[in-house]
Amino acid sequence: MKLPRTIPSALGFGVIWAFLILFVVYPLFRIFYDAFTDEAGRLTLVNFFEFFTDSFYLRSLWQSMVLGVAAVVTTSVIGIAVAFLLIRCEFPYRNLFSYLTMLPLILPPLVGVLGFVFILGRAGSVNVILMDWFGMEKPINFMYGMQGVLLVETVHLFPMMTLSVLDALSKVDPSLEEAAQGVGAKGWRRFRDITLPLTTPGYVSGALLVFIWTFADFVTPLVLGVQDLLAPQAYLNIVQFVDRRIFRMGIVISALLVLLAIVFVLAARQYVALKDYSSLTYSKIERRRLGPVERWLAVGFLTLLLVISFIPQVGVMFAAVGRGWALTPIPVVYTLEFFRQVSIETPKFIINSFVFSGLAVVVCLVVGVPMAWILGRTRAPGRNTMDALTTLILAIPGTAIGIAYIRAFNYPLPLIDIPLTGMWIILPLVLAVRRLPYTVRGSHSSLLLVHKSMEEAAENVGASKPRVFWDITVPLVWKGILVGALFSFLTSIQEASATIFLTLGGWEMMPVGIFTFYIAGSQSQAAALGVILIAMCAFSLYVVNRIAGTRVGGLFG
Amino acid sequence: MRIEIRNVTKRFGSMAAVNEVNLSIQEGELFTLLGPSGCGKTTLLRLIAGFYTPDEGEIRFDGQRVNDVPPHERGIGMVFQNFALWPHMTVFENVAYGLKLRGIARAEIAARVGAVFDKVKLSGFGDRYPGQLSGGQQQRVALARALVLNPKILLLDEPLSNLDAKIRVQVRQEIRKLQKELGITTMYVTHDQEEALTLSDRIAVFNQGKVFQVGLPKDLYERPANRFVADFIGINNLIDGVVEAVETRERRLQVKTALGVWSALFDERFKVGDRCVLCIRPENAAIDGEAAADRNLVKGRITFAAYLGNTLRYDVELAPGFVFKVDVRDPWHHELLPTGSAVTLTFARASTVAIPVQ
Repeated sequence: MKLPRTIPSALGFGVIWAFLILFVVYPLFRIFYDAFTDEAGRLTLVNFFEFFTDSFYLRSLWQSMVLGVAAVVTTSVIGIAVAFLLIRCEFPYRNLFSYLTMLPLILPPLVGVLGFVFILGRAGSVNVILMDWFGMEKPINFMYGMQGVLLVETVHLFPMMTLSVLDALSKVDPSLEEAAQGVGAKGWRRFRDITLPLTTPGYVSGALLVFIWTFADFVTPLVLGVQDLLAPQAYLNIVQFVDRRIFRMGIVISALLVLLAIVFVLAARQYVALKDYSSLTYSKIERRRLGPVERWLAVGFLTLLLVISFIPQVGVMFAAVGRGWALTPIPVVYTLEFFRQVSIETPKFIINSFVFSGLAVVVCLVVGVPMAWILGRTRAPGRNTMDALTTLILAIPGTAIGIAYIRAFNYPLPLIDIPLTGMWIILPLVLAVRRLPYTVRGSHSSLLLVHKSMEEAAENVGASKPRVFWDITVPLVWKGILVGALFSFLTSIQEASATIFLTLGGWEMMPVGIFTFYIAGSQSQAAALGVILIAMCAFSLYVVNRIAGTRVGGLFG
Repeated sequence: MRIEIRNVTKRFGSMAAVNEVNLSIQEGELFTLLGPSGCGKTTLLRLIAGFYTPDEGEIRFDGQRVNDVPPHERGIGMVFQNFALWPHMTVFENVAYGLKLRGIARAEIAARVGAVFDKVKLSGFGDRYPGQLSGGQQQRVALARALVLNPKILLLDEPLSNLDAKIRVQVRQEIRKLQKELGITTMYVTHDQEEALTLSDRIAVFNQGKVFQVGLPKDLYERPANRFVADFIGINNLIDGVVEAVETRERRLQVKTALGVWSALFDERFKVGDRCVLCIRPENAAIDGEAAADRNLVKGRITFAAYLGNTLRYDVELAPGFVFKVDVRDPWHHELLPTGSAVTLTFARASTVAIPVQ
């Protein structure tokens, strides 16, 4: 155990911890405090008693669990199949299909739901075609209900699973499989007994991500008219400011969300720690050439997936450029009017998105890079806690963080007499906290690649510590840091859950704009803003890929 | 089981990793493939294991062509360089897995695994995970996993390279003992020539996908067939020359080199005027020896001297840029000569070997 030696570094260390305590630990503590006290501030379990005796809440909890498990199952089947095909098999257009894994990054979840509704909704293109051309009497309900939520979450989340499994799969030592082949394990048997267990750590982190995301997503169910789930209940209870009791139940629900997330993360960590077999290196894998039938099946499967994944993009595109689009498969009259409305007429969405996300990235860099350095290069006390906090942030639902911030920063600050929730700076702050793990991990993993002996060698030939940092470390890690930062940006401009709770008039970023437009019935404006958001995400992703030159899979794990 | 390798070629892209190789391995033999890294020895082993199929030629086990037989039907047991133990299974499960796949009853599995554990001294380790074992123990698990299926052939791919030096020597003796006990035909791949010399019945020296020489360890060391083998195995002094006389009656060659005319062992392959390379091992040269009819003699100056504990090693410069290595045994009774000393080297004709330039 060695404390940072010099005063500046001790100071920096203190600032980082102060940031983490103030903006991560304290707000979480605050909602737990609220959940366990009554109006008079007395400790009580009555809130939880109320929750667990209310049959509606219990049903919501149960349905949320079922939905989460169902999403894990569907994404596992699709995600593992895709990962396995992409990494172990050779078939036509394999490279093209590998972009499947990137799709959700350029499709903000909120935009995804809208797109699906435009194509598969009651009056969506598919039902119009079925009724007009095939004489169906009533539209098929693809979307409104649990089945729709599951469909949207699956399409949105299976690539996360693919990335996690892909990463783990490419780290499996091929000789382990050859050894199995040598003793007679073939095909499916070998896959089940050897390959799959070896990818457990990657799979578990992917499954966790899918479960927690589905569990905590309130936007998708609300757009699809599903309210008897936990997360939408939290949202609805909080945004009504009339009934104090219901408001408190919203807090209780979000405390439950956090609690469950923590439990799942800890359980997964425990499990993964037991089963972490992956070598650090990626092994070179000989891809199996598929036979003609298999090849056809693989291409067919992936094409179908690709088509389904592209439904939302097509949907929002049509909705954005179609004037008065209704009762026809595709719009009849086209216009750019809606784009003009959401960009030139009211530019605040785009400007806010850039400013807030940009500021969030700056905060991420200022806090996250030193954190990565502390985690990777020092033996400072509390490193493990810091690492655990980073993982925790990844797992905590945006809904819960948003609610926690409302409760935690609602007090007027000294001198200026305005609460933090009354200043727009809270948005970049909450974004920065939410995306901090990406910057920390991106920097940390590239720091790990710089072997300590490289720095020691430089010190050995006479470079001072700061010189070592600038001449050796920075040139080797800046790419990783930049990619992490860009990734933080990319996901910040898509954020809808935490920010919805904190946004006051005039601070709206694009996703919140889309949500409010859609809820207010202005579907075309919502779609136009969605298209702009997709374009911006695609561009950021393009930049990330150009710089990194590789997949960004490791960042999710 | 006998293994025959006939004209086998395996290409990766345009590069032939194994190039028209012919070998025949006898029943119960421990046969080593020795060569520098990237020479194709592991590729050949994997061809025999069935992880690759030859592009040309054929592989026969006891006369049966096995080119298209999948790995698990070849009756081979393989030990991988990194052991390739499945980390998510216990030691017992690792060893038992192959038996389980064959649908063997539990009780019999336990009995067979137990018997193998006895052989490799692993009893009591069954419930541990590979990560909890030392390198030597992991090695033995890998060996047990290969042996439990009663293979006809055992393939070992650099099985000792991940172990510490001391353990390596110990494990290599254990492997040899076990192999003799079981009488199992074994193919061993290594780049470590000392390992190859101590372990093997016979050795094939590999380079650039080709077999350079096959023979007993003693033959390879003392009668290398070509410059590569002479240079690769042990340390050798190599001097180019031209055959000046072939004295059949005295059973010797006279070879003219840049350093004078030297006598060498008789070898009927050579005619007068042939170019050749003379090989003299450092331990066969003596410093300040006596001139004698059956010894070559040359003068030089010591440029480097090292004390190695059991040996004194000298670099003797015989001509500008030409250095001859000399090992003197028994340093207890010799003082290390200082650098710069002028010395006379002698070495016996009987240990001066002529090989073709090729």
